[in-house]
Amino acid sequence: MLEGDGLTKGLSRISRKDFLKYCSIAAATLGLPPSMAKVLAAEVKKDTRPPVIWLHFQECTGCTESLLRTSHPAIGQLILDLISLDYHETLMAAAGKQAHEVLKGAMSKNKGKYVLIVEGAIPTKENGIYCKIGGETALSMLKEASAGAAAIIAIGSCASFGGVPSAKPNPTGAVGVGDLIKGKALINLPGCPPNPYNLLSAVMYYLTFKRLPKLDKLGRPLFAYGRTLHDHCERKAHFDAGRFVRKYGDEGHRKGYCLYVMGCKGPVTHANCSAIKFNEANVWPVSTGHPCVGCTEKNIAFDVSLYKSPKILAAKAPKCLEKEVIETFEMPGEAKERGSGSMVGVAIAAAAIGAVAGFAGAVAAKLPNKEEE
Amino acid sequence: MAKKIVIDPITRIEGHLRIDIDVEGGKVKNAWSSGQMFRGIEKILEGKHPNDAWFITQRFCGV
Repeated sequence: MLEGDGLTKGLSRISRKDFLKYCSIAAATLGLPPSMAKVLAAEVKKDTRPPVIWLHFQECTGCTESLLRTSHPAIGQLILDLISLDYHETLMAAAGKQAHEVLKGAMSKNKGKYVLIVEGAIPTKENGIYCKIGGETALSMLKEASAGAAAIIAIGSCASFGGVPSAKPNPTGAVGVGDLIKGKALINLPGCPPNPYNLLSAVMYYLTFKRLPKLDKLGRPLFAYGRTLHDHCERKAHFDAGRFVRKYGDEGHRKGYCLYVMGCKGPVTHANCSAIKFNEANVWPVSTGHPCVGCTEKNIAFDVSLYKSPKILAAKAPKCLEKEVIETFEMPGEAKERGSGSMVGVAIAAAAIGAVAGFAGAVAAKLPNKEEE
Repeated sequence: MAKKIVIDPITRIEGHLRIDIDVEGGKVKNAWSSGQMFRGIEKILEGKHPNDAWFITQRFCGV
């Protein structure tokens, strides 16, 4: 057990072995060399816990649940021990007026220093009456809380881009944090739900380097969202070789073939699900036999049908798909231009070569991301 | 003279709940509970393919 200095006093339920394991995973997720795990561990133990205010708006609490209900509870525990969580409606004892006072107190006491984590979208129609907490609209709460925040983390697809409430016809005018708050340090961690390791890594990065990690055009950290799922997918060899699932439960499905024809959004979805996986049981949607739904991209998951495949440049798709009619959709904006650039060419058609490419992908998944320092 | 008690937010639950209570002579005379958040999931489902519905309704609650 870890005992003594600073933060580690609170880590009585985490063994030293586990603590170092999480630091190593965080370092790997960040694309840092293994030696950096010790630096992260040392920084984290300094007990410079940043005050965090966690607000819930139009959400389902799934992001919080994914953090708290990891099969190995220590990771949720570790994140909660790394920060001083001053306000979180799902976890706090106070309710009603007292809760409201805790929020106001935390904001004024830590003005300019706290990290604001937002879960859920913000409704803007009718002056924001579609989400109220203690009589205040989400809209006014976000504006007030973000004014005094040192940095903002939008956790989940709703807070990042509007998510499910913003799906057409967007009845409440739901938007993400970035649409309302400009000129503040903002990290988007989309995902429905997002992987808790990405939150852990972002928090550790902030604690260690005292700045935000490098972000892409959609405000997502490159360490987690720098590549498409497809790049590291364990079924990529099947894609390259043209072996596809045609129907749920068919022979290809039972054999674990590629799910592209079934509507997998993997080729255009930027996330590290296929490398980091979920629940510490090495599973993620595609490994269970379901196509990726594209929840980390803007305007895909809840607006495009689950059964439509992303359009892939003809030259990049396996030859066997050339004459087929597959229901496809065009990627909106930015993701389109980058999404198609990372595909392996059709030349790799032979199964054996495909398998090697897939293995190389799996190895690359474990290597540091070159885009990050 | 009835006394009004408002508890908002109710914490340790999923979503945003508000309770209004009328108390008279030390006893609860009337009480209301109200969800303070609306997303319009039913409206979002209109016109979508039924096979896509599970994925959206699943987002009602993440608990």
